[in-house]
Amino acid sequence: MEPSIIDFIYKRKQLLVEKWLEEVESVTQDSAITRIPEDIYSETNREFIDVIVNTLHVSPEEAKERLRSFVERLIHIGWPLSYFTRGLQAFRRVILEEMKENTQAEQAFSTFGEVENWIDGIVNQLVDEYTGSWENTLNLQKLALKELSAPLIPVFSHISVMPLIGTIDTERAKLIMENLLEGIIEHRSQVVLIDITGVPVVDTMVAHHIIQAAEAVRLVGAECILVGIRPEIAQTIVNLGIDLGKFPTKSTLRKGIESGLEVTNKKIVEIE
Amino acid sequence: MRVPILKLHNYLLISVQVELDDQTALQFQEDLLSKIHKEGSTGVVIDLTSVEMIDSFIAKVLGEVVEMSNLMGAKVVLTGIQPAVAITLIDMGIKLEEVPTALDLEQGLEKLQQELEG
Repeated sequence: MEPSIIDFIYKRKQLLVEKWLEEVESVTQDSAITRIPEDIYSETNREFIDVIVNTLHVSPEEAKERLRSFVERLIHIGWPLSYFTRGLQAFRRVILEEMKENTQAEQAFSTFGEVENWIDGIVNQLVDEYTGSWENTLNLQKLALKELSAPLIPVFSHISVMPLIGTIDTERAKLIMENLLEGIIEHRSQVVLIDITGVPVVDTMVAHHIIQAAEAVRLVGAECILVGIRPEIAQTIVNLGIDLGKFPTKSTLRKGIESGLEVTNKKIVEIE
Repeated sequence: MRVPILKLHNYLLISVQVELDDQTALQFQEDLLSKIHKEGSTGVVIDLTSVEMIDSFIAKVLGEVVEMSNLMGAKVVLTGIQPAVAITLIDMGIKLEEVPTALDLEQGLEKLQQELEG
């Protein structure tokens, strides 16, 4: 940026900051900021304006780094992005207002461009930092969801249970199938019980996925029992004309485990 | 390349350790049937643990081998089908419905014994 502009800003730093603080008070009235204690808020405002002005006289890399560490801290405590964008818009308004009064017309255009570029750069970096942190959170949540999605639990030797909760789409069905087959090999299961108590809707697609999984289970050498079929699920299945006749179904997990024990030649007896 | 066929009492054990191509599969079919004929075996276990890929032709041949062996009075159990293989087969719509399966060789032999006794 041209030294004359930097000089201009420096000379009026105090004034600009005062004006900006006034401006920013009014623009952030309505946002989530109101929940933040007064002293922390004004301290952050000071810090923010310092960081912005500092970007003028340090090297671009260092400016970036400072902005990053400042923003990261605020992202961490959940400061809204709109605070920064509105704050920067306000800052630009303040500067241009000030320049309008103090510079010649021919100079004004180039100055305007310079300031525009400067502020835009900061805005871009801020948005990048924020979206980066959001994407990170989103990925972590996706991973957590995936982990919770289809666990295979060995309950007795050779008997495992896979409880399914929530709707099943194609991607999840694939995951279920993989977990199921890997788990069977790992636990050496002979019987797997797929519990669909927590599946809200069984339509043709979901049924198709379950049938496929059951057939794949048979191929790797185990048996699949579908349990947790609620009355309304039974009704839908029959009304849709889905044929689940090829593999055993039971109404509850308990009955499923009983028949699983039967298949593996075991039984639970009461001790005397 | 031939697939070795081992005899154990009344059973034949086959562990497929090579990638099955069309020629090998057909050769195997022929070898197995003549071995069943020669030994008068009553049970066959085909172990597929080390097979990583089965295409539709091989699947068809395997299905036919099982059916043919049954005709000759030998029960066949397929064991050790890998998850990836199972998924591919299901995706291709090959269900091998008439073929008994087991997790590994041990359970396969148990299953044979059950079926032959029962």
